[in-house]
Formats: sequence, C-alpha cells, structure tokens
Amino acid sequence: MPKEIYLVKVGMSMTEGMVSEWFVQDGSQVKKGELVYALETEKVNLDVDADYSGTVKHLVEVGVTLEPGDVVGYIFEAGEDIPDTLAGAPAAASAETKREPEATAPVPAVAAAPETVSASVAASDPVVSQDGHIKSSPAARRLAKELGVDYTRVAGSGPGGRIVEADVQAASQRDAVVPAAPAEIATGPEPKASPLAKRLASERGIDIRSIQGTGPGGRIVQSDIENAAVTGVSTGAAAVSGPRAGERIPVKGMRKTIASRMHHSLQESAQLTMDMEVNMDDVVKMRTSLVEEWANEGVKPTYTDIVIKAVAKALRAHPMMNSQFLGSEIALMTEINVGMAVALPEGLIVPVVRNADQLPIKELAKETSRLAIAAREGALGLDDYAGGTFTVTALGMYGVDSFTPIINEPQTGIMGVNRIFDGVEWNGDKPVKTKKMNLSLTWDHRAVDGAPAAEYLVEVRNLLQSPYRLLV
Amino acid sequence: MSEHNVDVLVIGGGPGGYTAAIRASQLGLSVGLAERAELGGVCLNWGCIPTKSLLHTADVMREAMTAGELGLEISKPKFNLKKVVKRSRDVAAQLSGGISHLMRKNKIIVFVGDAMFQDKNTVVVGDDTIIADNIIVATGARARNLPHIQADGDRVWDARSAMTPTFMPKELLIIGAGAIGVEFASFYNTLGAKVTLVEVMDQILPAEDSEIADLAKQSFIKQGMEVLTGTGVDEVKVTGKTLTALIGGKNRKFDAAILSVGVSGNIEDLGLEAIGVEVDRGFISVDEYQQTSVDGVYAIGDVAGVPCLAHKASHEGIIAVEGIVGEMPHPLNRERIPGCTYSHPQIASIGLSEVQAGERGEIKVGRFPLLANGKAVAVNDTEGLVKTIFDASTGSLLGAHMIGPGVTEMIQGFAVAIGLETTEAELMETIFPHPTLSEAMHESVLSAFGRTINF
Repeated sequence: MPKEIYLVKVGMSMTEGMVSEWFVQDGSQVKKGELVYALETEKVNLDVDADYSGTVKHLVEVGVTLEPGDVVGYIFEAGEDIPDTLAGAPAAASAETKREPEATAPVPAVAAAPETVSASVAASDPVVSQDGHIKSSPAARRLAKELGVDYTRVAGSGPGGRIVEADVQAASQRDAVVPAAPAEIATGPEPKASPLAKRLASERGIDIRSIQGTGPGGRIVQSDIENAAVTGVSTGAAAVSGPRAGERIPVKGMRKTIASRMHHSLQESAQLTMDMEVNMDDVVKMRTSLVEEWANEGVKPTYTDIVIKAVAKALRAHPMMNSQFLGSEIALMTEINVGMAVALPEGLIVPVVRNADQLPIKELAKETSRLAIAAREGALGLDDYAGGTFTVTALGMYGVDSFTPIINEPQTGIMGVNRIFDGVEWNGDKPVKTKKMNLSLTWDHRAVDGAPAAEYLVEVRNLLQSPYRLLV
Repeated sequence: MSEHNVDVLVIGGGPGGYTAAIRASQLGLSVGLAERAELGGVCLNWGCIPTKSLLHTADVMREAMTAGELGLEISKPKFNLKKVVKRSRDVAAQLSGGISHLMRKNKIIVFVGDAMFQDKNTVVVGDDTIIADNIIVATGARARNLPHIQADGDRVWDARSAMTPTFMPKELLIIGAGAIGVEFASFYNTLGAKVTLVEVMDQILPAEDSEIADLAKQSFIKQGMEVLTGTGVDEVKVTGKTLTALIGGKNRKFDAAILSVGVSGNIEDLGLEAIGVEVDRGFISVDEYQQTSVDGVYAIGDVAGVPCLAHKASHEGIIAVEGIVGEMPHPLNRERIPGCTYSHPQIASIGLSEVQAGERGEIKVGRFPLLANGKAVAVNDTEGLVKTIFDASTGSLLGAHMIGPGVTEMIQGFAVAIGLETTEAELMETIFPHPTLSEAMHESVLSAFGRTINF
C-alpha cells in the first residue's frame, strides 16, 4: 500500500497552502526523514520530511492551492506496483480541486495521518517581506536549518531577491543572524471524546490529541482530562501524552529539533554555569504591592517577569552578555530581546519579549502573559519566537534551587530562575529570616570570561535587591 | 452425587445472577447457576415486577376515579383484591418462566437448592458438587426487621406479605418511607386504605433530592395520607385483629403495618467465612471489579452493597464476568445509577442532589414545573417538576431529579446524557419532540442557564 504524503497543517490558523517545490522528483527515491517538499502558506514556509522511505509519486503539481490534510503525493515502498501517473491528479490550474484525504486513502487515514511534522518554521522578517512570503531555494533552507540560521532575516542575492545557499553561508558569519525557534503543532484527526472532555481540555489548554482515552472504545472522558491535568502540572508536559514504561517514542518533530539544538549548543560552545544567592525581600514586597495595585487591570507580574526586567536592564550595561560568538568575530546585538522558556505538552518553546529593557514592568507582564497563553494555544505569531538575544528559564515553581541551563544558540547567556525560599541574613550575630533565591547563569566562555560574567550576574543581583530601580 | 466442572458458577438467579450467567455464556464460558427458590429473584418474583402490577391497578383505578374531569362517565370503580393479587402473581410467574427459557437457550446448567462453599472453587448444591474457576455470589438481600418490631406475616407485614394481602386494611401503618414504603403507601392509599407513613429520617425518600421529596410528601398528604417524618415507631403490639403502635408517645390503632426499613444482604449459610470472604455490615466487600477478598470469588448486586437496585445488580454482573475474561470493563460509577419510585406521583432521579452537588462547588440549578408543559395539561396530570443540576464551571450535568407522570420512563434521557458526559450545550441543542412531557427536561436545562422559553 502506498503511503500518503499530506499537506501538513502548521498553525491553527492555516486554511490553505501549496507545494512550492518538490525536493524529490516524481518517481525518485526518498529516505525517511529526508526533505520531500516545500510547503508554502500565507504565513509560513516549511520543508517537510518524508515519513517513509520509498519512491515518491507526485499527486499535485507545484503551486496548486490545497487545504491542510489534502494528499499531495504518495510514497511507494519497494516491491509495490508504481503507476506511471496517478489517477485523479489535479492539474496545476485546477486549484479548486480538493481531495478529502479519507476519500483517496488506500490505508486508514488515522494510521497514516502525520501527527507531527519535523521542521523549523521560519520567522518572517516584517522589514523584508510584509506578505510573509520569502523566496528561497530549498538548498538554502536546508543549510539554514543545519546552521541554525533564520534565513528569513537573510538578504537574498539570487534572481528576484531569492535567498540562495551562499546567502545563508554568509549570513551565518554575520551578526544579523538570530536563531530560529522550533514550532510544532500537532495535527491529525480529532479523537473520540465526550463533549465535557473536549470542553475541559480546551479550558485547561490540554491538547486532546495527546490524551489516551479510557472510555468505551478508547473514548476520551472527563477523568482522562482530569488525570492529564494532574500529571501535567506536576511533571511537566511530557506526562500529558502519557508515555508508558516499555514504550519507544520516535525522536521526531519538536523533540528532534530540541535534541539537535541542545546537543549542538553543548558541543559547539564553551558553556558553564555559576549560581548566586539574591536577597528577594524587596522584590517580594514590590511584587505584592504591584499585584494589588494592578489587580483591577488584570495585570499580575510574576517573579520571572521581574527577573526578565532585571536581566534586560543589566544587559544594557554589559553588552558582551548580549552578543553572539560567530567564530571570527563576536557580534554585539543592538536590541535586547529576552526569550522566555515555556513548557508545552509537545516540548519546550521560547517566545521572545522584544526590547525587554525598554518595557515597563506592567507592559512586560502583559506581554509575557500574552506570549505564554499564545504558546499554549499554538497561536504564537512568527515574530513572537524569533530574534531572542538572551534567554530566561524558570524552574523555581518546581522547587529547584540550582541548575545548568543550556544556551539557546547563538546567544551568549541564559539565566536560570530558581525557587524563592526562606533563607538567613546576618544582622550582626542575629539571624534574620529573609526571602532568598539563587540565579543560575550559564554563559559562553568563548565570548565572555568568568570575571565579566560574574560582574553581570552581580549587576542583576543588585537590581533585584534594589528593585525600585526596575520601575524607573 | 454428581460432579460438574464449569468456568463460572453463579449463586443466585436474580437480575444480577442470571444476567451475569448469560453474559458469561455469550463470552464462551461454561456456566452453572444455583438458585434455591424461583429464577428472577426478589425483583421479578417479590419486588419490582409484581409491585408494578399492583401499582398499575392503582393507576388505572385513579384514572377511572378522575375520568369525570375528562368528560367520561364511569361509575366508581371497585376492586377485587383476590384478582388484583392474582394478576400480580401471574405476571411474576410468566416472567420467571421466561428466565428458565433464557437459561436453556444460553446452555446454562441450573442447580436447584441451597449453595454451600466447600472451598473457593467448590460449591455443593443438594446432591451436586460444582467445581468452578470463578464463582459469582449473587444471593441478594431480604427485608430487614427492627430489633423491636418483627414482621409476622399476620398483621405486621414485610414486602412479600404486603404484595399478597388477604384483606384490605382500613387503617394501615407503613414504617419506613424509602422507595418500597412509598410505593406500598401509594397503592394502598389509592385502593382506599387510610395510610400513615412514618419515617425516622427528616424527609421521606431519604435518598432523593430534598425538594423533590418534599413535593412528594405534599402530594401524598393531599391524597389523604398522614406523613410523619423525623418520627420513629417505638412499639408495636398485636391483639387479635388490632395493631397498636406507639408513635411519638401516642398509641395509635391500625389494622395492619408494613415494615419497610431497608434490606440486609443474604450472606449467611453459604460458607463464606470458611473460605475467608470479607463482609462488612451485612454485605460482602468488593473492589471496583466486584472481586471479593478471595481470588476468583466475586459478589454482585444487593449482597455486594447498596443501592439495592436490580439494574445496578445486572450491571455489576456484566462487570464481574467481563473482568473474568479480561475484557477490562469500566467500573460502575455509583453516581450514574438512576433510581425510580413508582408511586403517584412518580419520582425518578440520577446523580447528585442539589445539596450534595452544592458541597462540591458552584452549581447552576434548573427547574421546570409540569404545570407549564402542554402535554401535561392535555393529559390532566400537571403535578410535577423537573430539576437539573449543573457544574457552573464545566457545564457538566451533575444530577437530574423528576417528579410527576411518566418520569420513570424519561430519566434514561438524562442517564444517557450523563453517561456520554454531555454538557448543557448539547442538551440545549437537542430537539425534544412536541408535545411531550419530556420537553420539561429540555426546559429545565434551559432554565438552569436562564434561557427557559415556556415559563
């Protein structure tokens, strides 16, 4: 049985898209995991992997507008009869011809439907491409992915401004490069679920596709959502999808992206971590009064918001920490855009607070809250997760006191936010109960030595110990 | 003395036991069933079914008595108690015969007699020794007596005597206003007895939502009963044909009394202790798959604990059997068992009462009186209310409580809704046919969300 190649859905808002380029010619071989076609939508360009190995047959030609979930071609396994042309293939012009995947599927659609798609979603640069459409060669995009380059921010030198391989190569040496963040949205058929289960899942931001149903016939029922919510909160996103002992989970999609980026970061840079204790008494007091003051407006700053503000403000005075090590030179970034790590059921995502140093705490709190909600709803705009120059990651809510965050390449630093606890300050010989917190700063020793990194950390600590300075 | 080997032996042929036996047979198991009396158990022979026959007689009589309001001229109906009771017994006999047929059809070997465990896999019934991999105890329950009041079958009746009366008491005392007491109260009241219904709890029908129970009480009083709640009967003395009861410090005279103060499990004389089956306050302890403390021994229905309802027993029977064959059944959700009382007016409910639901969190309550239902007006039976209770945050239907005509046939609609975990949205979007009493269910849901149309 040939396997379908689907027009994948990226983002909840995607209603149509097209194959902008076939990387594998009609009748040619593809290996599982290799790029097979380029998806183009209004907002996003994406290179799509093959889920199977075999011979690719195109069902649609380049440029035909289709709906997500439509079949664009098939992969025939070795030994299968391969027709010269596929019956019912819509002509390039007949853009209106829609095919229901179920109708054409020779195998059950559920089994073959792609659950996740492995790809880096490129962020569009509003300056160079208002319409979100970026002309680029597949080879350029592939190289960009390998190098972790956001090619949408690269100026194209090919015909009509098309981005070619050389542009990406050059860009990877320049300071204009910002990392592409992974984005991953699960698609696939909606599972059987009770109306109540659906409502609870949507209210609690749980992806119902990640739930294992225990009702009759595997139907998802209320208790499944409640159990997922309980495990999800305590053990993070992974538990929601319910991995079980003995199971083998294919490394693909978001997991694959995270794995390769984390590993690459540790391999390529000279990163190390140091911790510093901060007296949080004044931050606690300040936050309490801010929460009260802004309650009517529905704005509730978190400790992480205040740390982001301090981190950003301190970067202003320590530009080396807001840099990118590019081999032959170190690029000091002009903007201070702080990424914040958000745990999703599918994995980690890092939306970015732009110009965090210039945002008042109230605006910053609104922005982080918007980003966190959008991240959970899969509604992050492309600009929301591109262009970070430094990252803040918090594990304090789990009671963590120290950890070694991994740098989000090609940035130079990442600040780990830990638990606030009841510590001790000495007033003469008298111990005084004091709110304390550790900061865990990982930095890239290739760009910054220990002393200046410590100076930066001291600056952040001093800001947090005199937090009124963050309000002005 | 003959020896039999079966996969499953069921002890007790009531609605739990015979259902379990049939399901086991359907799943390809060899099945034996032991029964000491009649197939069909209390439900079919001495409970649900024969009382429905009696109550139907009462319903038709009431209709005939009020037929003048519909423009019919019918002379005052009279009953023949012997024939009324005989019909009730015939109905039971007919259905019990049906169960025998079902046993044959499903190749279930029926052993007649008292069952006694020899060990956890061996049971003796009369001359037969049955060796079974799995044994399901479905021995049911019997009417309880009180320490100071015992049924004697003469003037102090248990349910069995109450459904085979040889005379119609003029003054009848009913002790205990649960579903059974209330049904007898309704039957005897309609046939002309002066009924005094006494309940030690603060409301009649203690398992029901208090608002519904209160409406039932008002209706019964309107129909001529005396209803005493929060009241106990301290003493009962029988002298000749007169029964004297001490109620609230006063001696009252009656022709008969019905003792309906609950049931206790039939756990005795089975050899349960010898094989180590744990019991707790008169019922066998089981887990959510009906497993007792002894591997391979299961208990279902009344003997496995309250609520003592036939449909709960059948459902547990299926869970036990499917568990035995490894089908991973879903444990019974005790909050989804509907309950029905076939008095006039009828009462039916499922899920949490308003008080219980309110203790769990914010709720929304919908009410719709049958007075505003077109069909109820047309059929001259407008006494009733449909009450629905929703979780305010999730829209989950937590409980439904109905009183009025036909509600025992309608509650399944809410049972399906709760079983499928619908929210108010699906119920509101459902089209209920017009004109029906069931429209009141729809309106009640709408009312919970301030959207009722016809009230």
